[in-house]
Amino acid sequence: MATSKTKKDSKAKARSKKADDKQKNILEMLKSHGAKIYDDLDNGQFPKFSIPSRSVSNIVYDKKLRQYILGNNAALRSSRNSAQLRSFTQLMWLAFFANRLTNEKKSSTLRDVYYSSQAFAVEFEDQSESDNIIVDLEAVTSKPREDFHIFPEERSSIFGDLNIEYTIPGYEGKTMNLANHPDGYSIGPSLTTAELVDTSAEIVIAIEKGGLFTRFVEEQVDKKFKSIIINTGGQAPRSTRTLLKRLHDEMKLPIICLTDGDVYGEHIAMVIKSGSANAAHLRELTVPDAKWVGVWATDIEKYKLPTIPMTESDIKRCYDLQKDPRYQDGIWKKELDVFLRLKRKAELEAFSKYGLTNITDKYLPQKLELAKSL
Amino acid sequence: MSSIKEKFNQISPSEFFYSNRDLAGFSNPTRSLYTAVREFVENALDACDQKGILPDVHLTIKAVDPDKPDPKPYILTVKDNGPGIDAEHIPLAFGTVLYGSKFGLKQARGMFGLGATMAILYGQITTNKPVIVKSSSDAKIQNQFEILLDIQKNKPVILKHTTKDISKKGLSVSICLEGDYSKAGNKIRDYVYETSLITPYASITFDDPKGNKFSHPRFVKDIPPPPTIIRPHPHGIDVERIRRMIVESQFEIPTIDDAMIEKVRKDLGLSKKNLSFTSIMDKAKKKWKNLPRQVRVVIALMSFLKMDFEKLNKIRIEDIDMPNKKLFYWDFGDSQSKSIDMDPESQYYKQLTNTVQGEPLTTFLTKRFQRVGPTTAVKFAEFAKLKPEKRMGTLTNQELVNLSDSLQKFDDFMAPDSSCLAPLGAEPLEKGIKKFFNPDFVAVVQRPASAYSGFPFIIEMGIAYGGDIKTGGPHVYRYANRIPLLYDEGSDVVIKVVNDTDWGRYKVKGEPPFIIVSHICSTRIPYKTAGKENVADRQEIERELRLALQFLSRKLSSFMSKRGQAEAAKKRANLYAKYIPMIAEFCTELAGKKKEPNYKKMLETEIETETKKAVKEEKEIGNK
Repeated sequence: MATSKTKKDSKAKARSKKADDKQKNILEMLKSHGAKIYDDLDNGQFPKFSIPSRSVSNIVYDKKLRQYILGNNAALRSSRNSAQLRSFTQLMWLAFFANRLTNEKKSSTLRDVYYSSQAFAVEFEDQSESDNIIVDLEAVTSKPREDFHIFPEERSSIFGDLNIEYTIPGYEGKTMNLANHPDGYSIGPSLTTAELVDTSAEIVIAIEKGGLFTRFVEEQVDKKFKSIIINTGGQAPRSTRTLLKRLHDEMKLPIICLTDGDVYGEHIAMVIKSGSANAAHLRELTVPDAKWVGVWATDIEKYKLPTIPMTESDIKRCYDLQKDPRYQDGIWKKELDVFLRLKRKAELEAFSKYGLTNITDKYLPQKLELAKSL
Repeated sequence: MSSIKEKFNQISPSEFFYSNRDLAGFSNPTRSLYTAVREFVENALDACDQKGILPDVHLTIKAVDPDKPDPKPYILTVKDNGPGIDAEHIPLAFGTVLYGSKFGLKQARGMFGLGATMAILYGQITTNKPVIVKSSSDAKIQNQFEILLDIQKNKPVILKHTTKDISKKGLSVSICLEGDYSKAGNKIRDYVYETSLITPYASITFDDPKGNKFSHPRFVKDIPPPPTIIRPHPHGIDVERIRRMIVESQFEIPTIDDAMIEKVRKDLGLSKKNLSFTSIMDKAKKKWKNLPRQVRVVIALMSFLKMDFEKLNKIRIEDIDMPNKKLFYWDFGDSQSKSIDMDPESQYYKQLTNTVQGEPLTTFLTKRFQRVGPTTAVKFAEFAKLKPEKRMGTLTNQELVNLSDSLQKFDDFMAPDSSCLAPLGAEPLEKGIKKFFNPDFVAVVQRPASAYSGFPFIIEMGIAYGGDIKTGGPHVYRYANRIPLLYDEGSDVVIKVVNDTDWGRYKVKGEPPFIIVSHICSTRIPYKTAGKENVADRQEIERELRLALQFLSRKLSSFMSKRGQAEAAKKRANLYAKYIPMIAEFCTELAGKKKEPNYKKMLETEIETETKKAVKEEKEIGNK
């Protein structure tokens, strides 16, 4: 008992040190950026810095990393250039604000950042402008915004037998089992930064929709299939993708994705697997081993699912994705082609036609079996 | 066609205009008051222009009974310092329709002084009051007339005529008419204001019925060069006009009366009273070269009649039938018509031919039209398939139509002479715009003369930006022959050209403070309606307008971009002053320092440089 406690303590200590180190690194990096600007000004120079270009021409697909990354092009941001002066100042403020957040271990959201700017007389036209500056900061530092304690508004959630230990101030050392609350736990700053302690689950099921997530909890999919269920709430937010990656890397759990049977669903799975072009400046957000198990275009015919016709924009999206290097082979290519042939799509809810639990009783087991061979 | 014409001839011009007064802009009390003001002011300015006098024009409108609601009678008086009108012409000039001094081809505001008479007519039919004319053409005596118009007879009725001593030339016309000043006031004030912009050498005052005085003193001391009267261009002519020109060109057979016989006797140097026929002919032969044309014709006739003066006194020439070589006359002695044959070989036959059949085609063309030389005339005759020596008086109706048609189609005539035009000139126009709008930028252009359908025209245009100009532009000021056009702007060719312009291309955006002044000068402005308020889109005029506007817009564009640069420099200075201190503040905490970096000097230097740049740009574009 005593040994186990000591062991646990030392483990916790190690975890806490790791978090401290990470924080220290971030602070050091911000400080060095700040010092450079400070020195420029002190020497009577207009400060400037370089930032990797995020233009389409500089986004390339890295086959080894199996994700999009930024190329070598960089742009110079100078405070002398009056066209850049405003965004330069905004970025300086954001670094300054991130520094305070990190230093004080406080969390913020994208929206909160936008509103906080007003207190410092820093103007943002709207939230999308401030969101964009946050991406700039990520690009300059090559760190995701979560490292600076900036999170999106929570809309995805997690349920299943997973023990975590909080690291956020006031909750340090406190543990929680994520199967305790049937509505699931929202994936916010505290969960994203928490340590993953242990789990009995053998697989993670990422599902696109909140409705099906609730159904899966009700049907005890977590117990029946020894799984952790995650609701991505459509396109998975980056904090959720970070968590998925950690579940895969730290807990050694395979990840499968279950989406609507349309081209957008297919791409939700792809983003979890290999990231988005929007986040090409960041690593550590992808789960290259994640698998998409359905609903496939071929499932529509196989399970005789009720369908609706694809819209113009659905079809256009198919053609766009056909040009994407990640859709050139395997089921990705095959299913895309079938979608284009059918010109019809099906929702996850389509299985309700054959009974409310049909999806968990029949479809899911078959797909889980299939996933092993994918 | 001819029957309609006969009908028109049967009513007097006064009656015709009385029943068609809305055509001339007298459709209702509002429009009528405005039109009357226009007609009298324009007549005053035209009169001064023609004599090269710097105009002083005083316009007064007074309500007869100020307490009555509109529409009500007003007394409209326009006084000028022009040449005045001789007393003998006043009754006809102001008491008949279609009597005026403005016939002839040159640019003037009005054509025949018709509008003023219309105003008088309108005043008379609405208030039954006479027109009061005070005129002095010698700066000594002023004639004052009170005249009514006899509409049916188209004749003046003088109610009163007095004279008094005076020391200045000039004309004052006063009419009483029904008007609506509460509605027309705006337009009339605009009219006076805009007129003074295009007539910067005139001093115009306006006393309105409410006791307000509007004064527009002259700000240019030189009158633009006056236009010259010129002959018509072949392209600008129709069958009817040719017919009239032929009649003018044909020499009349002189009436042989006592006065004429006396003249012939005198020119031949005949002292004796009863000279024989042969001795008269002998004398004439000797003196032929020095004889005037009329006398020659009489001698020619006498040669065929073989009569002396005494006999000549007792007959009347009835007709000269050239094709049949017969001369008809009425003998008072035995009261019957007689005829004699004319010998075509006689030297006098040619004299009569000339007189009766008019000029040959080529002479007609070179003498009666502008810029047609003998070579062109012969070329044209070939083109029109007429003999160059064809006598104008012998043309058949069909040949006349053919001639008129060919005159339109022949391309080798020279372009119309523009000396009959009187543009204001770029410099006075620019001065006017500067004075009226105090703009940040102004550019003017006078296009070279061009022509449509044989009528020469010149486009003058100005463009101005900023200063006192109100936003919501472009505001377009339209002028034609120095008259502001205030009504019906929607269908005007100038507005069309302005609206077709993509101002964004010239860096003019939003609701710019921006005006365009357009002046079309021509011997005939192609108005769309008789009200003379909007110009039709003749292709040639539209093209010239477009070229003028494009030229000016490019200048405006370069002003706008320089202004943009100046503004950008200012803006940069402001941006530095705003943002650099913020960057300093944020990086100080970020770098973990206590003291802010020493950036103040750098910032000051930079702001100074930018401010200097802005000042320099502004000086360059400084147009004030």
